[in-house]
Amino acid sequence: MTDLTLGRALTPVRRQRRLSLPPLGASLAILFLLALVLAALLPGLFTRIDPLAIVPREAFQPPSWVHWLGTDQSGRDIFARIIHGARQSLLIGVAATAISMAIAIALGLLGGLGGARVDRAVGWLLEVLFAFPSLVLALLFVAVFGSGVGPLIVATGLGGAPGYARMVRGQVLAVRNAGYIEAARALGHPTSRIVLRQLLPNAMRPLVVTLTMGVGQAIVWASALSFLGLGARPPAPEWGTMLSMGRDFIANAWWLTFFPGLFIVLTTLATTVTGRYIQQRLEGRLP
Amino acid sequence: MTSTTLAVTDPRRERLAALGRRAGIRLAGGVLVLWAVATLTFFALRLMPGDPVLAILGGTTGNPSPEAIEAARQEFGLDKPLAVQYVLYLGRLLQGDLGMSYSQHLPVTRVLAEQGGATFELTVAALVLAWLLVLLLTVVTAGRGRLIGGVASLLETVSASLPHFWLGVVLLAVFAFGLRWFPPAGSDSLASLVLPAFSLAIPLAGFIAQVTRESLELTLEQPFVLTARTRGLSDLAVRFKHALRHALLPGVALSGWAIGALISGAVVCEVIFSRKGIGRQLYQAVQLQDLPLVIGISLVVAAGYVLANILVDLLYQWIDPRQQEAAA
Amino acid sequence: MNRPILPLIPLCAVLALVGCERAEQHAAQSTQPIHGGTLVYATDREPTCLDPHVAGDMPQVFVAQQYLDSLVSMDSHGQIGPWLASRWEVSADGLRYTFHLRRDVHFTDGTPFNAEAVKANLDHMANPKTQSSTAGGYIRQYRSTKVLDDYTAEVTLATPYAAFLEVLAQGFLGIQSPTALARSRDENCESPVGSGPFKVVRWDRQNQVELVRNPDYNWAPPTAQHQGPAYLARIVWKFIQEPSVRFASLQAGEVDVIEALPPESHEAARRNPDVDLIIAQRPGNPTNGTFNLRRAPFDDIRVREALVRSADVEGALKSVYFGEFPRSGGPLSVATPFYSGDFERSQDYDPARAATLLDEAGWTRRDSEGYRTKGGQRLRAVVLIGARTPPSELTLWEQVQATTRQVGIELVLDQMSDAQVTSRQAAWDYDIRIGYWNTNTPDVLRIIFTSAFVQPAGVGGYHQNSSGYADPGFDALLDSALATQDAELRRQRYHLAQQQAAAQYLQLTTYPQSTRLGIYKTAHGVRLEPSLAVTYLYDAWVNK
Repeated sequence: MTDLTLGRALTPVRRQRRLSLPPLGASLAILFLLALVLAALLPGLFTRIDPLAIVPREAFQPPSWVHWLGTDQSGRDIFARIIHGARQSLLIGVAATAISMAIAIALGLLGGLGGARVDRAVGWLLEVLFAFPSLVLALLFVAVFGSGVGPLIVATGLGGAPGYARMVRGQVLAVRNAGYIEAARALGHPTSRIVLRQLLPNAMRPLVVTLTMGVGQAIVWASALSFLGLGARPPAPEWGTMLSMGRDFIANAWWLTFFPGLFIVLTTLATTVTGRYIQQRLEGRLP
Repeated sequence: MTSTTLAVTDPRRERLAALGRRAGIRLAGGVLVLWAVATLTFFALRLMPGDPVLAILGGTTGNPSPEAIEAARQEFGLDKPLAVQYVLYLGRLLQGDLGMSYSQHLPVTRVLAEQGGATFELTVAALVLAWLLVLLLTVVTAGRGRLIGGVASLLETVSASLPHFWLGVVLLAVFAFGLRWFPPAGSDSLASLVLPAFSLAIPLAGFIAQVTRESLELTLEQPFVLTARTRGLSDLAVRFKHALRHALLPGVALSGWAIGALISGAVVCEVIFSRKGIGRQLYQAVQLQDLPLVIGISLVVAAGYVLANILVDLLYQWIDPRQQEAAA
Repeated sequence: MNRPILPLIPLCAVLALVGCERAEQHAAQSTQPIHGGTLVYATDREPTCLDPHVAGDMPQVFVAQQYLDSLVSMDSHGQIGPWLASRWEVSADGLRYTFHLRRDVHFTDGTPFNAEAVKANLDHMANPKTQSSTAGGYIRQYRSTKVLDDYTAEVTLATPYAAFLEVLAQGFLGIQSPTALARSRDENCESPVGSGPFKVVRWDRQNQVELVRNPDYNWAPPTAQHQGPAYLARIVWKFIQEPSVRFASLQAGEVDVIEALPPESHEAARRNPDVDLIIAQRPGNPTNGTFNLRRAPFDDIRVREALVRSADVEGALKSVYFGEFPRSGGPLSVATPFYSGDFERSQDYDPARAATLLDEAGWTRRDSEGYRTKGGQRLRAVVLIGARTPPSELTLWEQVQATTRQVGIELVLDQMSDAQVTSRQAAWDYDIRIGYWNTNTPDVLRIIFTSAFVQPAGVGGYHQNSSGYADPGFDALLDSALATQDAELRRQRYHLAQQQAAAQYLQLTTYPQSTRLGIYKTAHGVRLEPSLAVTYLYDAWVNK
């Protein structure tokens, strides 16, 4: 049906000899992501300690049974902060990716459906946006609109948008002349319905993989900006901010910097592995 | 004898000519892109809050008198209407004048000249190092079986997931503070380049290796490789001389994007390792709201990036001209 | 001309009096100084301009101390001694200072030092085009200089200013070559020319400043330990912003001296046999949060004292700064001349008293989150935090916030860009403003607490008096302290001033500013000059 046609049209012939992580890895990754989402929604399940509670007496405690990952310079429990930071980080990652996608869909549809001249203009606009490395673009944005979580999300979203826009545009161009679209048009369906119900879902399907990995990437970018002090400001338990605050104490108390970073790595790893797994499943449906 | 009109052209010369035409088109497009970039940054930064004159005249501790403010306003042309400022700005750009940095009281071009070298050094070193790691890992381990391939693949995936700012701090702590193998700061010596280059190269190598491995494995199954093997070439020779050239293509395509990622990474690494460079300059300029410096660095970075992409595109064409123009 | 050299031992004892901690052996007597060599010095902040007349922040004076001399010197007792001026007279009305200058001094560009040079320098500082915040601010009373003859200059002030000689001893008012001063401001920022023991070769931005020895130097102040040219042939003045990296460079021997030794590394530095420490408090107004008296809630002295009493600053300092920073209780730091220790306990932590005061002031009800309210308004204070406030400072205020909360006061730590801090400060839109003021005279109380400094200094709106305190009695007291040259009278008057400032609870003082040097075993003779506790490398030498 439509899936098969699309799949065959877009994916090059692949040998199933492609080496991949065994399903064990994928299951671990998916579990981790689910745990993270749970932590974001119900942090109380994982820890009872208040991430903002300042206890100067207990500053710089190394990891122990009381404080699993140690405490920071104000005596705050690091594990608690990481769990609560999961909400911040996931929120930023998902929101930023959503913004990227929104921009990308707008531009992609415009370019893909708007006719040759519009398409050239959009392509040219994308080139302009592409001329900036993503962090530079984000820095420019923060320079104009100030720092903070809001601008951080928009800045990260802007940084990722050009890449997605190009992909969406390519997909739209490939799909718009497909048989089922023509059929729908011949049947007299309104354009908006065709776009919403048939074009867009089929164009976006291969991008699910990219999106999954994109959330991980967005989290890293946002953490980089917070690390530079231009995103979430302390004492917010955002992982990049925590990393930055711990940097001065790396010689005395390495756990301040190590663990938030570890969680960023694990999240990125998990999204990448999950994304690849989804991709393989999609391809696996080829006969 | 009449010479036949069968024009036997040198295929190599034809290829060069085609490349040249392509380069010309891309460069022209690049100039247009740069113009758009300049316009975008100009108007975007005019929206910045805060009076730029106060920023020029010393920020939080300066106490400028009314005369000093008026003088500065005229000196920087901030009293004219926006459209006029824009035209003047473009005019100065064409002459290579990027204006005066508010925070350093130096011409922006001078700041760029002094700081650009270190960033260029770092970017090139990181790219070279990344490719070395990629070649080492993929060429040696591709197609050798599930276990090795699985381990290598895992290594690549983990590397690609390492954020370079975290990796930089960890490398600094272990190798500079702990083992003292490398200096913790500095921009002058080769030794001070090692740790920053590695913290940028490792994640990049992870990305490129994944793509190159796939491609290499596919190539190793192609018929012409089999032919080369039957002719008695050693395995390594086969891999390097024949397979690699075809397999490199996706990696090369990725290198264009990689340079952008490296520049982004340089911003953070220069801060962590206290290195000179335009990355750190950009970061400080944003903090200090130094308009001309932010615009100047963005323009130069954009120009460099566009140029790098053109070069990569040409390289791609050179390596395999049978490829159609990449759609993505 | 030979000047008596101060012996080392009394100097050490006196430094101990002003709260300096010095670890043993590297006295210059133990081994012979070696001529030649390069000393590598690493500091955290890069100056904005190498000419300290322009703007004027601490990084500038630190580097300028090596290549500029001052008109007079100040020893660790606070006594003013000769330097480029060998003697001086002050007129009876305190308005005219006649300086008799040394005749053997010249700048490194060949220009001779004379009365014309003095005039050029003072005029340069007072000139609005120079945009001198610090030096210009200190000589507001300056009217003109008359050149009586080649080596005699008569300076005229508008009002009596007993602190004039004190400020002249600071590196901020260092003497530069008039030929160099005649150039554009930006040019002079790049390569100022002085008469000091070293001269500027090159400023490699974001990296380092290179200085070389001035071979003709022969006019060291009496506070120095030797005469003649400096021992070091070259100084490399590097900028390493990251504290952990700076300290690691010291431990590895990559740099010989570091400044702003991070408090978290003090312990490691003490344990390291290759590293010595020099820690000295700087004179002036300690680091503090100044209250805005112009609006509620701090227009009520009871609320001010309540906030001070409810903040456990000692506890916060112990954890944030590892106990390395002492608590400052009074408006002046220990190293300031005419400092009185009577007010150190005026800000002790006493939450019970805070609660009583707030009850008296009418803040008796509590809202749902436990903060006190009065007439429906919550008791809250906004603290301005700029983007470049160090994280440790923010952590300190977070802990203060946690303790004031227990008494029912809400502290809001408002984070914003530095430009926004400036504009809010100018608009008096804050309750607490974090600041400090390093200077070698108690006259700082006049700058930060009298009505003359409430008005904005320039169009930027910045006003040195952030508290808004404008009491005519206090103004008169500080002016009278300037009107007399008698040390005993000044002591009495400054004692009264400190008493009043402390009793009014105008600031929450936290810790004194300090200079903290870490010195690797290769460097010797590194000292702090007595007036501002600024690094002084004239007597230093290296053994590599």
